[in-house]
Amino acid sequence: MEWRKSLVFLVSVIFVLGFVFGALAQEGASELEIQTANAAFEAADKGNPDPAWKGQKLTIAVYSAGPRGAISGPLYFWRPYFEKLTGATYDIVEIPFGELREKIFTDLMTGTGTYDIIVGPSWFYGDYIMNDWIVPAQEFFNDPRMPKWEPESIALPVRELYMWGDKLVGFNNDHDGQVIYYRRDILSDPKWQEEFKKEKGKDMPTPPWTWEEVYEICDFFNGKDWNGDGEPDYGISMHLKVGGQGFFHFMALSAPYVVSPAPGDNPAKVTRYHNVYWFDPETMEPLVNTPGFVEALNMLIKLSKTGPSAMFGWSLGEAWDAFLRGKAVMCWSWGDVGSLAQLPDRSSIQGKLGVAPIPGSDKYYDLETQQWVHKKNFVANTVGASWHGVISKYCKNKELAAYFLSWQATPQINHWNVVWGWTGVDPGTSYDFLQPSGKATIEEYVATGYDAEDARQFVTAYEEMWTKYPLRQTYLRIPGTPEMWEVYDIHLSEAVTGQVSPEEALNRIAEEWKAIVERYGKDTLKKIYQEAIGYKPE
Amino acid sequence: MRRRLREKGNAFVIPAIFWVLTFTIFPLVYSFRVSLSKVLYGKLVGFAGASNYLRMFGDYRFWGTLRFTLVLVLISVCATTAIGLGLAIVFNRKMKGLRAFRSILTMPLFTAPVALGYLGVMMFYEENGPINVLLKYLGMGKVPWLSHPLWATLAICLVDIWQWTPFAFIILLAGLQSISDEIYEAAVIDTSSGWAVFRHITLPLLSPVLGTVIMLRMVDAFKAFDIPFSLTSGGPGTATRTLTFYIYTQGLRNFDLGYASAMAYFLLAITMIIGLLFFRRYRELYE
Repeated sequence: MEWRKSLVFLVSVIFVLGFVFGALAQEGASELEIQTANAAFEAADKGNPDPAWKGQKLTIAVYSAGPRGAISGPLYFWRPYFEKLTGATYDIVEIPFGELREKIFTDLMTGTGTYDIIVGPSWFYGDYIMNDWIVPAQEFFNDPRMPKWEPESIALPVRELYMWGDKLVGFNNDHDGQVIYYRRDILSDPKWQEEFKKEKGKDMPTPPWTWEEVYEICDFFNGKDWNGDGEPDYGISMHLKVGGQGFFHFMALSAPYVVSPAPGDNPAKVTRYHNVYWFDPETMEPLVNTPGFVEALNMLIKLSKTGPSAMFGWSLGEAWDAFLRGKAVMCWSWGDVGSLAQLPDRSSIQGKLGVAPIPGSDKYYDLETQQWVHKKNFVANTVGASWHGVISKYCKNKELAAYFLSWQATPQINHWNVVWGWTGVDPGTSYDFLQPSGKATIEEYVATGYDAEDARQFVTAYEEMWTKYPLRQTYLRIPGTPEMWEVYDIHLSEAVTGQVSPEEALNRIAEEWKAIVERYGKDTLKKIYQEAIGYKPE
Repeated sequence: MRRRLREKGNAFVIPAIFWVLTFTIFPLVYSFRVSLSKVLYGKLVGFAGASNYLRMFGDYRFWGTLRFTLVLVLISVCATTAIGLGLAIVFNRKMKGLRAFRSILTMPLFTAPVALGYLGVMMFYEENGPINVLLKYLGMGKVPWLSHPLWATLAICLVDIWQWTPFAFIILLAGLQSISDEIYEAAVIDTSSGWAVFRHITLPLLSPVLGTVIMLRMVDAFKAFDIPFSLTSGGPGTATRTLTFYIYTQGLRNFDLGYASAMAYFLLAITMIIGLLFFRRYRELYE
């Protein structure tokens, strides 16, 4: 009898635990979140779920951030709705950032097929495409069972990340790019403006439009007690730890020094020398040690001296915190900062946030003439992951996977994720951008806790960068990209910590990239690179 | 009858042979084959000859990681052994609360190294981390524990020493306790110097145990991975990247398994040489 009692107890415990974990999705969700999510759920297109899907289960691999964390959070949150909708469910496999590549690629390389859906970064595309590892979203787009979503609503530079050539490959979710954040209250304070003028001999550029201006402001504020806490504060806040995603800072900063406009009617046209950033598309020679990059790296080093030295050991969370706690006057980062600034438990700067599109440069290096051109240059970026779902070719129920991802990509669900900042889904569609050019209203953001002016600046900065900047930085989507970025990360860290000179660090990157290109096959990579950046040999 | 028994006895050895063949010999032979191959996406796509081995000699990152590994081995092994020995001597006597002290001292040994690494991130946090706050109270400046190559190296060594000193302590304490009291009693008649007793009695009698501790620690320190991985991610740059970390990166992140296998063989050779040198020395001493 005793063992029966124990068995009953054990089963009860399992049930209770199952219930608790099942409810985790909604745990911590506010009444307003639930209400608005219900409304989004009702309004979103639901297609025609196949009754045969009932009882089936998918497995989704995602970057690990927990049930209320960035990117993985929405998967937990929407699971009960998906179950209600289809009768199917899914398991969420969270993978730490540093292990994404080995876990996901090993699964795909071996054909194990553990993961039906991969909510991964855009830099995996080169490997996905070369190995034919994923099923394009295009194949399901016109299936009457699928909920309707709007690829054309995504800002063009980000939309290109979801496509390969003219084919839609991934499903809409996140929209990454870096903009500059600053303390609106401090930079607009007449007292500081006057002091700046006294010290620098000119008006404080608010907001800063070039990296030189960013440097001047950060240099001015660094070491001054501008927040009144009795301690010296900082100019900039960055995360420069190896493996801490700091190299994305340099990508965004270097773009205007490196990317040059094409001559003729269309400055955004990709030619051998214009609108290229990574490699010469004819020879696959790395461009990373050209003068534009050297100049940019010198600027990064200069800027890094206007913040705490601890930044060299910081990952992104620490860098964000320094800005959000009001210790740094500026930072440039992803959309997460805009939404995190509105959370009282993480931020002391709500209502004080200024946001502007990523700064440009006063000059750029023309690869064709091999001369510096002294003109202002503005280049939009999509640096980061733009985390989104793709379907593994080993997925056992591809239609169900496509259904889930299409449903998550619908404007209502996707926009709900954007306005609730904890989801880590950043704005980037016309329904996230504000009226009259977009479809969203400021009230939608204010309702979720945003300060109205913060939200206006935040969303508008992204819209301006992606729709008004004349040029955009191409994204590296070739096999071996993660490896190349790791090399980039390591040697940039060597340069900013003074272990080697900027030139030496960039030469090291170039040499290692050449070796990686050779290992994967130069001709294969050249073809994929040309396709990825939209270069057509003349 | 005897032959049949011998045959039966041989049959009992088969599972062990199967185990060794499957889990030791086959991976060893296969990884050697991989080290001679060009590998792309986990597939052997061609014969590479000795090129993966030759690549090591021209790879400054390989030499950098090897240099850091040697520094870590040297500092960590010397410090853990010395501190472990000191603690063993202190605790090799009857005293109140001895058991509790011993238990507390051995706790880091039972913690996962990766957890200690992440704990280190908090301890060595440069902006108001406990260690820097303490140093500030002592009137010292802020130490760039994780953002400067030299300090980051020291931080890794300190965490490694913290974790592995209890290992040396336990083994050496057991060694000390196995030395008969009578020998000490006899020695005390000849000399009153504690150092002389230690130099001429304790150390020689403890040397087999000491040698074992040093050898095990060296082999283990050469394989250090978790602490640098979690504490500094091998940075700044590659300043704190160990050889095993580099092998892991090349093999399991970049899937360059040929080169990773070649480096792994190099590491195996180093650890085997250390083992052989120690065993030879033992033989010389005790045979």
